[in-house]
Amino acid sequence: MNRRSNQTRTIILLVAPAFVFVLVFFVLPLIFLLSQSVLPEEGGFTLSGYVDFFQSRVSRIVYLRTLKLGLIVTGISVLMSYPAAFVLARMPVRRRSFLMSLVILPLMTNAVARTFAWLIILGRRGLVNQTLMSLDLVENPLRFIFTETAIVLGLTQLFLPLMVLPLVSAMENIPNDVLEAARSLGANRLTTFVRIVVPLSSDGLVLGATLVFTGSVTAFVTPAILGGSRLLLMSTLLRQKAVILFDQHAAAVVAVVMILTTLAVNLLLRVLRVQQV
Amino acid sequence: MVSRWMYISLVILYGFLLGPFVIIFMASFGANANLAFPPQGFTLDWFANVFETSQFIDSFWISLQLGLSSTIVSLVMGMPVAYALTRFHFAGSGMVETVFSAPILVPGLVIGFAMLNFFVLLGDMQVMTGLFIGHTAILFPYSVRVISASLRNLDPYVEDAAVSLGANRLRGFLLVALPNMQAGLAAAFVLGFITSFNNVPVSLFLSGPGVTTLPVSMLSYLEYYFDPTIAALSTLLVIFTVVLVQTAERVLGLSQFV
Repeated sequence: MNRRSNQTRTIILLVAPAFVFVLVFFVLPLIFLLSQSVLPEEGGFTLSGYVDFFQSRVSRIVYLRTLKLGLIVTGISVLMSYPAAFVLARMPVRRRSFLMSLVILPLMTNAVARTFAWLIILGRRGLVNQTLMSLDLVENPLRFIFTETAIVLGLTQLFLPLMVLPLVSAMENIPNDVLEAARSLGANRLTTFVRIVVPLSSDGLVLGATLVFTGSVTAFVTPAILGGSRLLLMSTLLRQKAVILFDQHAAAVVAVVMILTTLAVNLLLRVLRVQQV
Repeated sequence: MVSRWMYISLVILYGFLLGPFVIIFMASFGANANLAFPPQGFTLDWFANVFETSQFIDSFWISLQLGLSSTIVSLVMGMPVAYALTRFHFAGSGMVETVFSAPILVPGLVIGFAMLNFFVLLGDMQVMTGLFIGHTAILFPYSVRVISASLRNLDPYVEDAAVSLGANRLRGFLLVALPNMQAGLAAAFVLGFITSFNNVPVSLFLSGPGVTTLPVSMLSYLEYYFDPTIAALSTLLVIFTVVLVQTAERVLGLSQFV
Protein backbone atom coordinates (compact mmCIF):
# COMPACT_ATOMS: atom_id res chain seq x y z
CA MET A 1 0.00 0.00 0.00
CA ASN A 2 1.46 3.35 -0.88
CA ARG A 3 1.95 6.15 1.59
CA ARG A 4 -0.81 8.32 0.22
CA SER A 5 -3.69 5.86 0.49
CA ASN A 6 -2.36 4.91 3.91
CA GLN A 7 -2.70 8.52 4.99
CA THR A 8 -6.22 8.75 3.55
CA ARG A 9 -7.18 5.69 5.58
CA THR A 10 -5.76 7.26 8.74
CA ILE A 11 -7.70 10.47 8.16
CA ILE A 12 -10.95 8.58 7.59
CA LEU A 13 -10.40 6.57 10.77
CA LEU A 14 -9.74 9.72 12.77
CA VAL A 15 -12.66 11.75 11.47
CA ALA A 16 -15.33 9.08 10.88
CA PRO A 17 -16.71 8.38 14.39
CA ALA A 18 -17.49 11.99 15.28
CA PHE A 19 -18.47 12.81 11.70
CA VAL A 20 -21.05 10.03 11.58
CA PHE A 21 -22.36 11.11 14.98
CA VAL A 22 -22.90 14.70 13.84
CA LEU A 23 -24.35 13.54 10.52
CA VAL A 24 -26.90 11.18 12.09
CA PHE A 25 -27.87 13.16 15.18
CA PHE A 26 -27.51 16.72 13.96
CA VAL A 27 -27.64 17.00 10.16
CA LEU A 28 -30.39 14.39 9.65
CA PRO A 29 -32.75 15.95 12.23
CA LEU A 30 -32.32 19.31 10.46
CA ILE A 31 -33.08 17.75 7.07
CA PHE A 32 -36.14 16.12 8.61
CA LEU A 33 -37.18 19.50 10.03
CA LEU A 34 -36.85 21.08 6.60
CA SER A 35 -38.99 18.32 5.09
CA GLN A 36 -41.59 18.78 7.85
CA SER A 37 -41.95 22.43 6.90
CA VAL A 38 -42.87 21.60 3.27
CA LEU A 39 -44.58 18.22 3.66
CA PRO A 40 -47.76 18.55 5.71
CA GLU A 41 -49.26 15.49 7.42
CA GLU A 42 -51.98 15.28 4.76
CA GLY A 43 -49.26 14.50 2.20
CA GLY A 44 -47.92 16.27 -0.88
CA PHE A 45 -45.40 19.05 -1.24
CA THR A 46 -46.43 22.59 -0.33
CA LEU A 47 -44.98 25.94 0.55
CA SER A 48 -48.24 26.98 2.15
CA GLY A 49 -46.64 26.91 5.62
CA TYR A 50 -44.32 29.73 4.57
CA VAL A 51 -47.09 31.63 2.81
CA ASP A 52 -49.24 31.35 5.95
CA PHE A 53 -46.35 32.51 8.10
CA PHE A 54 -45.75 35.69 6.15
CA GLN A 55 -49.44 36.37 5.60
CA SER A 56 -50.36 36.01 9.25
CA ARG A 57 -50.35 39.40 10.95
CA VAL A 58 -49.24 37.91 14.27
CA SER A 59 -46.21 36.07 12.95
CA ARG A 60 -45.21 39.04 10.77
CA ILE A 61 -45.31 41.29 13.82
CA VAL A 62 -43.34 38.75 15.85
CA TYR A 63 -40.71 38.36 13.11
CA LEU A 64 -40.23 42.12 12.65
CA ARG A 65 -40.19 42.67 16.42
CA THR A 66 -37.48 40.03 16.76
CA LEU A 67 -35.33 41.69 14.09
CA LYS A 68 -35.95 45.16 15.52
CA LEU A 69 -34.98 44.16 19.08
CA GLY A 70 -31.92 42.33 17.69
CA LEU A 71 -30.79 45.51 15.95
CA ILE A 72 -31.38 47.64 19.05
CA VAL A 73 -29.46 45.23 21.28
CA THR A 74 -26.58 45.12 18.78
CA GLY A 75 -26.50 48.93 18.56
CA ILE A 76 -26.48 49.41 22.33
CA SER A 77 -23.79 46.74 22.70
CA VAL A 78 -21.55 48.51 20.17
CA LEU A 79 -21.93 51.87 21.91
CA MET A 80 -21.33 50.41 25.37
CA SER A 81 -18.39 48.22 24.39
CA TYR A 82 -16.32 50.36 22.03
CA PRO A 83 -14.68 52.88 24.36
CA ALA A 84 -14.53 50.38 27.24
CA ALA A 85 -12.87 47.76 25.04
CA PHE A 86 -10.25 50.33 24.08
CA VAL A 87 -9.40 50.99 27.73
CA LEU A 88 -9.17 47.23 28.33
CA ALA A 89 -6.91 46.70 25.31
CA ARG A 90 -4.46 49.38 26.50
CA MET A 91 -4.16 47.99 30.04
CA PRO A 92 -1.21 46.14 31.51
CA VAL A 93 -1.68 42.40 30.87
CA ARG A 94 -2.24 41.33 34.49
CA ARG A 95 -5.02 43.80 35.19
CA ARG A 96 -6.58 43.14 31.79
CA SER A 97 -6.75 39.38 32.27
CA PHE A 98 -8.46 39.89 35.63
CA LEU A 99 -11.03 42.26 34.12
CA MET A 100 -11.55 39.97 31.12
CA SER A 101 -12.38 37.10 33.42
CA LEU A 102 -15.11 39.32 34.90
CA VAL A 103 -16.42 40.02 31.39
CA ILE A 104 -16.85 36.32 30.67
CA LEU A 105 -18.54 35.67 34.02
CA PRO A 106 -22.04 36.42 32.69
CA LEU A 107 -21.39 34.03 29.78
CA MET A 108 -20.60 31.30 32.27
CA THR A 109 -23.75 31.50 34.39
CA ASN A 110 -27.06 30.17 33.21
CA ALA A 111 -29.50 32.46 31.50
CA VAL A 112 -32.35 31.77 33.95
CA ALA A 113 -30.24 33.07 36.85
CA ARG A 114 -29.15 36.15 34.93
CA THR A 115 -32.62 36.97 33.65
CA PHE A 116 -34.15 36.51 37.10
CA ALA A 117 -32.18 39.56 38.26
CA TRP A 118 -34.18 41.71 35.84
CA LEU A 119 -37.42 40.53 37.42
CA ILE A 120 -36.15 41.90 40.72
CA ILE A 121 -34.93 45.13 39.15
CA LEU A 122 -37.98 45.79 36.97
CA GLY A 123 -40.77 44.12 38.97
CA ARG A 124 -43.79 45.89 40.49
CA ARG A 125 -41.92 46.30 43.78
CA GLY A 126 -38.54 46.21 42.09
CA LEU A 127 -35.56 48.49 42.36
CA VAL A 128 -36.67 50.87 39.61
CA ASN A 129 -40.27 51.23 40.79
CA GLN A 130 -39.29 51.67 44.45
CA THR A 131 -36.80 54.35 43.47
CA LEU A 132 -39.29 56.18 41.26
CA MET A 133 -41.97 56.06 43.97
CA SER A 134 -39.70 57.16 46.79
CA LEU A 135 -38.69 60.14 44.65
CA ASP A 136 -42.41 60.85 44.11
CA LEU A 137 -41.88 60.68 40.36
CA VAL A 138 -44.73 58.19 39.92
CA GLU A 139 -47.67 57.30 42.17
CA ASN A 140 -48.34 53.75 41.07
CA PRO A 141 -45.71 51.24 40.03
CA LEU A 142 -45.03 51.19 36.29
CA ARG A 143 -45.17 47.97 34.34
CA PHE A 144 -41.76 47.04 32.95
CA ILE A 145 -42.03 43.27 32.81
CA PHE A 146 -43.47 42.02 29.51
CA THR A 147 -42.24 45.11 27.68
CA GLU A 148 -39.73 45.45 24.87
CA THR A 149 -37.53 47.53 27.17
CA ALA A 150 -37.21 44.63 29.60
CA ILE A 151 -36.29 42.21 26.81
CA VAL A 152 -33.72 44.64 25.39
CA LEU A 153 -32.09 45.13 28.82
CA GLY A 154 -31.97 41.41 29.50
CA LEU A 155 -30.58 40.53 26.07
CA THR A 156 -27.99 43.31 26.20
CA GLN A 157 -26.61 42.06 29.50
CA LEU A 158 -26.61 38.52 28.11
CA PHE A 159 -24.71 39.29 24.92
CA LEU A 160 -22.46 42.27 25.75
CA PRO A 161 -19.50 39.96 26.49
CA LEU A 162 -19.70 38.62 22.93
CA MET A 163 -19.08 42.17 21.67
CA VAL A 164 -16.38 43.06 24.21
CA LEU A 165 -14.21 39.96 23.65
CA PRO A 166 -13.64 40.26 19.85
CA LEU A 167 -13.26 44.07 20.12
CA VAL A 168 -10.56 43.79 22.77
CA SER A 169 -8.66 41.17 20.82
CA ALA A 170 -8.85 43.29 17.65
CA MET A 171 -7.68 46.41 19.52
CA GLU A 172 -4.80 44.63 21.23
CA ASN A 173 -3.17 44.36 17.81
CA ILE A 174 -3.16 48.11 17.16
CA PRO A 175 0.42 49.22 17.82
CA ASN A 176 0.92 52.17 20.16
CA ASP A 177 3.18 53.82 17.55
CA VAL A 178 0.25 54.24 15.17
CA LEU A 179 -1.77 56.10 17.79
CA GLU A 180 1.20 58.24 18.80
CA ALA A 181 1.88 59.05 15.16
CA ALA A 182 -1.69 60.23 14.68
CA ARG A 183 -1.52 62.36 17.82
CA SER A 184 1.84 63.90 16.94
CA LEU A 185 0.53 64.78 13.49
CA GLY A 186 -2.15 66.87 15.16
CA ALA A 187 -5.18 64.60 15.43
CA ASN A 188 -7.12 65.01 18.67
CA ARG A 189 -8.34 62.05 20.71
CA LEU A 190 -11.73 61.82 19.05
CA THR A 191 -10.28 62.02 15.52
CA THR A 192 -7.68 59.39 16.37
CA PHE A 193 -10.37 57.13 17.77
CA VAL A 194 -12.74 57.53 14.83
CA ARG A 195 -10.15 57.52 12.01
CA ILE A 196 -7.54 55.08 13.38
CA VAL A 197 -8.95 52.86 16.13
CA VAL A 198 -12.36 52.16 14.60
CA PRO A 199 -11.13 51.14 11.11
CA LEU A 200 -8.33 49.02 12.59
CA SER A 201 -10.73 47.16 14.88
CA SER A 202 -13.55 46.72 12.35
CA ASP A 203 -12.90 42.98 12.12
CA GLY A 204 -13.70 42.60 15.80
CA LEU A 205 -16.72 44.88 15.41
CA VAL A 206 -18.17 42.80 12.57
CA LEU A 207 -17.59 39.53 14.41
CA GLY A 208 -19.04 40.91 17.65
CA ALA A 209 -22.08 42.35 15.88
CA THR A 210 -22.76 39.00 14.19
CA LEU A 211 -22.57 37.15 17.49
CA VAL A 212 -24.75 39.64 19.37
CA PHE A 213 -27.38 39.93 16.65
CA THR A 214 -27.74 36.21 15.95
CA GLY A 215 -27.69 35.53 19.69
CA SER A 216 -30.44 38.09 20.32
CA VAL A 217 -32.79 36.95 17.56
CA THR A 218 -32.56 33.31 18.67
CA ALA A 219 -32.36 33.61 22.48
CA PHE A 220 -35.15 31.82 24.30
CA VAL A 221 -34.86 32.25 28.07
CA THR A 222 -34.86 36.05 28.17
CA PRO A 223 -37.96 36.57 25.98
CA ALA A 224 -39.67 33.66 27.75
CA ILE A 225 -39.24 35.26 31.19
CA LEU A 226 -39.35 38.97 30.33
CA GLY A 227 -41.77 38.85 27.40
CA GLY A 228 -43.84 35.77 28.09
CA SER A 229 -46.73 34.90 25.82
CA ARG A 230 -47.86 38.53 25.74
CA LEU A 231 -44.77 39.71 23.87
CA LEU A 232 -43.65 36.88 21.63
CA LEU A 233 -40.35 36.69 19.77
CA MET A 234 -39.50 34.04 17.16
CA SER A 235 -38.13 31.61 19.75
CA THR A 236 -41.11 31.86 22.08
CA LEU A 237 -43.43 31.64 19.05
CA LEU A 238 -41.71 28.40 18.00
CA ARG A 239 -42.17 26.98 21.48
CA GLN A 240 -45.82 28.05 21.57
CA LYS A 241 -46.62 26.46 18.20
CA ALA A 242 -44.81 23.23 19.06
CA VAL A 243 -45.79 22.66 22.68
CA ILE A 244 -49.05 24.51 23.26
CA LEU A 245 -50.72 24.46 19.83
CA PHE A 246 -49.16 21.12 18.77
CA ASP A 247 -48.84 22.47 15.24
CA GLN A 248 -45.54 20.81 14.25
CA HIS A 249 -45.86 21.94 10.64
CA ALA A 250 -46.13 25.64 11.58
CA ALA A 251 -43.43 25.23 14.24
CA ALA A 252 -41.09 23.73 11.64
CA VAL A 253 -41.71 26.76 9.40
CA VAL A 254 -40.80 29.14 12.26
CA ALA A 255 -37.66 27.08 12.95
CA VAL A 256 -36.56 27.18 9.31
CA VAL A 257 -37.15 30.95 9.13
CA MET A 258 -34.95 31.31 12.23
CA ILE A 259 -32.16 29.24 10.64
CA LEU A 260 -32.36 31.16 7.36
CA THR A 261 -32.26 34.49 9.22
CA THR A 262 -29.12 33.63 11.17
CA LEU A 263 -27.47 32.15 8.07
CA ALA A 264 -28.28 35.27 6.05
CA VAL A 265 -26.76 37.52 8.72
CA ASN A 266 -23.65 35.36 8.94
CA LEU A 267 -23.21 35.41 5.15
CA LEU A 268 -23.85 39.15 4.90
CA LEU A 269 -21.28 39.96 7.54
CA ARG A 270 -18.78 37.54 6.02
CA VAL A 271 -19.11 39.43 2.73
CA LEU A 272 -18.62 42.73 4.58
CA ARG A 273 -15.49 41.37 6.17
CA VAL A 274 -13.98 40.19 2.89
CA GLN A 275 -14.61 43.59 1.31
CA GLN A 276 -12.78 45.39 4.08
CA VAL A 277 -9.63 43.32 3.74
CA MET B 1 -4.99 58.28 24.40
CA VAL B 2 -7.22 56.80 27.09
CA SER B 3 -9.35 59.63 28.40
CA ARG B 4 -11.49 60.05 31.48
CA TRP B 5 -14.80 59.43 29.74
CA MET B 6 -13.46 56.16 28.44
CA TYR B 7 -12.87 55.07 32.01
CA ILE B 8 -16.42 56.12 32.82
CA SER B 9 -17.67 53.91 29.99
CA LEU B 10 -15.66 51.04 31.47
CA VAL B 11 -17.38 51.56 34.83
CA ILE B 12 -20.81 51.65 33.16
CA LEU B 13 -20.02 48.46 31.23
CA TYR B 14 -19.01 46.57 34.36
CA GLY B 15 -21.91 47.98 36.34
CA PHE B 16 -24.30 46.69 33.70
CA LEU B 17 -22.59 43.31 33.38
CA LEU B 18 -22.15 42.63 37.08
CA GLY B 19 -24.84 44.75 38.76
CA PRO B 20 -27.56 42.11 38.25
CA PHE B 21 -25.41 39.60 40.13
CA VAL B 22 -25.21 41.95 43.12
CA ILE B 23 -29.02 42.30 43.04
CA ILE B 24 -29.54 38.51 42.98
CA PHE B 25 -27.05 38.12 45.81
CA MET B 26 -28.87 40.67 47.99
CA ALA B 27 -32.33 39.29 47.19
CA SER B 28 -31.34 35.75 48.16
CA PHE B 29 -30.77 36.85 51.79
CA GLY B 30 -33.87 39.07 52.06
CA ALA B 31 -36.69 38.04 54.40
CA ASN B 32 -39.58 39.30 52.25
CA ALA B 33 -41.08 36.68 50.00
CA ASN B 34 -42.45 39.09 47.39
CA LEU B 35 -39.01 40.15 46.18
CA ALA B 36 -39.54 43.83 47.03
CA PHE B 37 -36.29 45.69 46.64
CA PRO B 38 -34.31 46.63 48.69
CA PRO B 39 -34.80 43.44 50.75
CA GLN B 40 -35.83 43.72 54.40
CA GLY B 41 -34.23 41.63 57.12
CA PHE B 42 -31.89 38.71 56.76
CA THR B 43 -32.63 35.02 56.39
CA LEU B 44 -31.05 31.84 55.07
CA ASP B 45 -34.48 30.22 54.58
CA TRP B 46 -34.33 30.51 50.79
CA PHE B 47 -31.10 28.54 50.71
CA ALA B 48 -32.69 25.89 52.91
CA ASN B 49 -35.64 25.88 50.52
CA VAL B 50 -33.33 25.15 47.58
CA PHE B 51 -32.06 22.00 49.26
CA GLU B 52 -35.56 20.93 50.29
CA THR B 53 -36.98 21.28 46.77
CA SER B 54 -36.51 17.84 45.30
CA GLN B 55 -36.94 19.03 41.70
CA PHE B 56 -33.77 21.12 42.06
CA ILE B 57 -31.76 18.37 43.70
CA ASP B 58 -32.82 15.71 41.18
CA SER B 59 -32.23 17.96 38.18
CA PHE B 60 -28.86 19.06 39.57
CA TRP B 61 -27.65 15.45 39.51
CA ILE B 62 -29.00 14.99 36.00
CA SER B 63 -27.25 18.15 34.81
CA LEU B 64 -24.02 17.05 36.46
CA GLN B 65 -24.09 13.57 34.88
CA LEU B 66 -25.09 15.01 31.55
CA GLY B 67 -22.39 17.70 31.63
CA LEU B 68 -19.63 15.26 32.53
CA SER B 69 -20.62 12.49 30.12
CA SER B 70 -21.32 14.67 27.08
CA THR B 71 -18.15 16.73 27.61
CA ILE B 72 -15.94 13.66 27.94
CA VAL B 73 -17.46 11.95 24.90
CA SER B 74 -17.25 15.09 22.75
CA LEU B 75 -13.60 15.51 23.75
CA VAL B 76 -12.66 11.89 23.09
CA MET B 77 -14.42 11.89 19.72
CA GLY B 78 -13.38 15.45 18.84
CA MET B 79 -9.68 14.95 19.56
CA PRO B 80 -8.97 12.71 16.52
CA VAL B 81 -10.85 15.19 14.32
CA ALA B 82 -8.73 18.07 15.63
CA TYR B 83 -5.62 15.95 15.08
CA ALA B 84 -6.57 15.21 11.46
CA LEU B 85 -7.38 18.88 10.80
CA THR B 86 -4.11 20.20 12.20
CA ARG B 87 -1.61 17.51 11.19
CA PHE B 88 -2.78 16.59 7.66
CA HIS B 89 -3.70 18.55 4.56
CA PHE B 90 -6.51 16.77 2.82
CA ALA B 91 -9.29 17.41 0.33
CA GLY B 92 -12.53 18.01 2.18
CA SER B 93 -10.92 19.40 5.33
CA GLY B 94 -12.88 22.61 4.81
CA MET B 95 -16.12 20.62 4.66
CA VAL B 96 -15.20 18.72 7.82
CA GLU B 97 -14.52 22.00 9.61
CA THR B 98 -17.86 23.43 8.48
CA VAL B 99 -19.80 20.37 9.65
CA PHE B 100 -18.16 20.50 13.07
CA SER B 101 -18.78 24.21 13.55
CA ALA B 102 -22.40 24.01 12.32
CA PRO B 103 -24.00 23.26 15.72
CA ILE B 104 -22.88 26.74 16.83
CA LEU B 105 -24.54 28.43 13.84
CA VAL B 106 -27.95 26.83 14.26
CA PRO B 107 -30.15 28.29 17.05
CA GLY B 108 -30.23 25.99 20.09
CA LEU B 109 -34.01 25.97 20.29
CA VAL B 110 -34.21 24.83 16.65
CA ILE B 111 -31.69 22.05 17.35
CA GLY B 112 -33.73 20.85 20.32
CA PHE B 113 -36.99 20.94 18.36
CA ALA B 114 -35.50 19.16 15.32
CA MET B 115 -33.88 16.49 17.50
CA LEU B 116 -37.08 15.84 19.43
CA ASN B 117 -39.08 15.30 16.22
CA PHE B 118 -36.35 13.09 14.81
CA PHE B 119 -36.01 10.98 17.96
CA VAL B 120 -39.76 10.46 18.04
CA LEU B 121 -39.46 9.22 14.46
CA LEU B 122 -36.72 6.77 15.52
CA GLY B 123 -39.04 5.28 18.12
CA ASP B 124 -38.71 4.78 21.84
CA MET B 125 -35.66 6.57 23.11
CA GLN B 126 -34.87 7.14 26.76
CA VAL B 127 -35.06 10.80 27.77
CA MET B 128 -31.54 10.68 29.19
CA THR B 129 -30.17 9.19 25.95
CA GLY B 130 -31.79 11.95 23.93
CA LEU B 131 -30.36 14.63 26.22
CA PHE B 132 -26.92 13.02 26.08
CA ILE B 133 -26.94 12.92 22.25
CA GLY B 134 -28.15 16.50 22.00
CA HIS B 135 -25.56 17.86 24.41
CA THR B 136 -22.70 15.89 22.85
CA ALA B 137 -23.58 17.22 19.37
CA ILE B 138 -23.63 20.87 20.47
CA LEU B 139 -20.28 20.49 22.27
CA PHE B 140 -18.31 19.32 19.21
CA PRO B 141 -17.62 22.85 17.92
CA TYR B 142 -15.99 23.79 21.24
CA SER B 143 -13.94 20.65 21.70
CA VAL B 144 -12.69 20.51 18.09
CA ARG B 145 -11.79 24.22 18.10
CA VAL B 146 -10.02 24.34 21.46
CA ILE B 147 -8.07 21.10 20.90
CA SER B 148 -7.11 22.25 17.38
CA ALA B 149 -5.79 25.48 18.89
CA SER B 150 -3.61 23.68 21.39
CA LEU B 151 -2.38 21.21 18.75
CA ARG B 152 -1.41 24.13 16.54
CA ASN B 153 0.65 25.60 19.37
CA LEU B 154 2.52 22.33 19.64
CA ASP B 155 5.57 21.82 17.41
CA PRO B 156 4.80 18.78 15.15
CA TYR B 157 8.54 18.08 14.90
CA VAL B 158 8.52 16.89 18.50
CA GLU B 159 6.13 14.12 17.53
CA ASP B 160 8.12 13.46 14.35
CA ALA B 161 11.20 13.02 16.52
CA ALA B 162 9.39 10.40 18.61
CA VAL B 163 8.29 8.61 15.44
CA SER B 164 11.76 8.63 13.93
CA LEU B 165 13.06 7.17 17.18
CA GLY B 166 10.76 4.19 16.69
CA ALA B 167 7.39 5.09 18.19
CA ASN B 168 4.35 4.70 15.96
CA ARG B 169 2.04 7.70 15.31
CA LEU B 170 -0.41 6.72 18.06
CA ARG B 171 2.31 6.29 20.67
CA GLY B 172 3.90 9.54 19.53
CA PHE B 173 0.62 11.30 20.07
CA LEU B 174 -0.25 9.66 23.39
CA LEU B 175 3.19 9.90 24.98
CA VAL B 176 4.48 13.15 23.50
CA ALA B 177 1.66 15.40 22.26
CA LEU B 178 -1.04 14.61 24.81
CA PRO B 179 0.96 15.42 27.95
CA ASN B 180 1.79 18.79 26.39
CA MET B 181 -1.86 19.59 25.74
CA GLN B 182 -3.10 19.39 29.32
CA ALA B 183 -3.93 23.08 29.51
CA GLY B 184 -5.91 23.05 26.26
CA LEU B 185 -7.76 19.89 27.22
CA ALA B 186 -8.66 21.24 30.64
CA ALA B 187 -9.86 24.49 29.07
CA ALA B 188 -11.97 22.54 26.58
CA PHE B 189 -13.34 20.46 29.42
CA VAL B 190 -14.36 23.47 31.54
CA LEU B 191 -15.86 25.25 28.54
CA GLY B 192 -17.77 22.15 27.42
CA PHE B 193 -19.04 21.33 30.89
CA ILE B 194 -20.29 24.87 31.51
CA THR B 195 -21.95 25.00 28.09
CA SER B 196 -23.82 21.77 28.78
CA PHE B 197 -24.57 22.59 32.41
CA ASN B 198 -26.16 25.95 31.49
CA ASN B 199 -27.94 24.90 28.32
CA VAL B 200 -31.66 25.62 28.19
CA PRO B 201 -32.86 25.62 24.56
CA VAL B 202 -31.69 22.12 23.58
CA SER B 203 -32.65 20.56 26.91
CA LEU B 204 -36.04 22.23 26.92
CA PHE B 205 -37.43 20.05 24.13
CA LEU B 206 -35.49 16.91 25.01
CA SER B 207 -36.43 16.85 28.70
CA GLY B 208 -39.17 14.45 29.70
CA PRO B 209 -41.38 13.69 32.67
CA GLY B 210 -39.17 13.35 35.73
CA VAL B 211 -35.98 13.85 33.75
CA THR B 212 -35.14 17.55 33.57
CA THR B 213 -31.93 19.55 33.71
CA LEU B 214 -31.36 22.15 36.41
CA PRO B 215 -31.80 25.30 34.27
CA VAL B 216 -34.99 23.91 32.73
CA SER B 217 -36.42 23.08 36.14
CA MET B 218 -35.53 26.61 37.30
CA LEU B 219 -37.44 27.98 34.33
CA SER B 220 -40.52 25.88 35.07
CA TYR B 221 -40.35 26.78 38.78
CA LEU B 222 -40.52 30.45 37.72
CA GLU B 223 -43.79 29.80 35.91
CA TYR B 224 -45.49 28.93 39.20
CA TYR B 225 -43.58 30.67 42.00
CA PHE B 226 -42.10 34.12 42.32
CA ASP B 227 -40.02 34.05 45.49
CA PRO B 228 -36.31 34.40 46.35
CA THR B 229 -35.64 30.64 46.12
CA ILE B 230 -34.43 31.07 42.54
CA ALA B 231 -32.25 33.97 43.71
CA ALA B 232 -30.65 31.74 46.37
CA LEU B 233 -30.09 28.95 43.86
CA SER B 234 -28.66 31.45 41.37
CA THR B 235 -26.29 32.76 44.03
CA LEU B 236 -25.05 29.22 44.68
CA LEU B 237 -24.59 28.63 40.94
CA VAL B 238 -22.76 31.94 40.46
CA ILE B 239 -20.35 31.06 43.30
CA PHE B 240 -19.84 27.62 41.76
CA THR B 241 -19.12 29.19 38.36
CA VAL B 242 -16.86 31.92 39.71
CA VAL B 243 -14.69 29.36 41.49
CA LEU B 244 -14.56 27.16 38.37
CA VAL B 245 -13.93 30.00 35.91
CA GLN B 246 -11.43 31.91 38.05
CA THR B 247 -9.44 28.74 38.65
CA ALA B 248 -9.51 27.92 34.94
CA GLU B 249 -8.60 31.49 33.96
CA ARG B 250 -5.75 31.65 36.50
CA VAL B 251 -4.34 28.31 35.44
CA LEU B 252 -5.23 28.15 31.74
CA GLY B 253 -6.26 31.55 30.39
CA LEU B 254 -9.81 30.56 29.52
CA SER B 255 -10.89 33.86 27.92
CA GLN B 256 -8.62 33.32 24.91
CA PHE B 257 -10.64 30.25 23.95
CA VAL B 258 -14.18 31.63 24.33
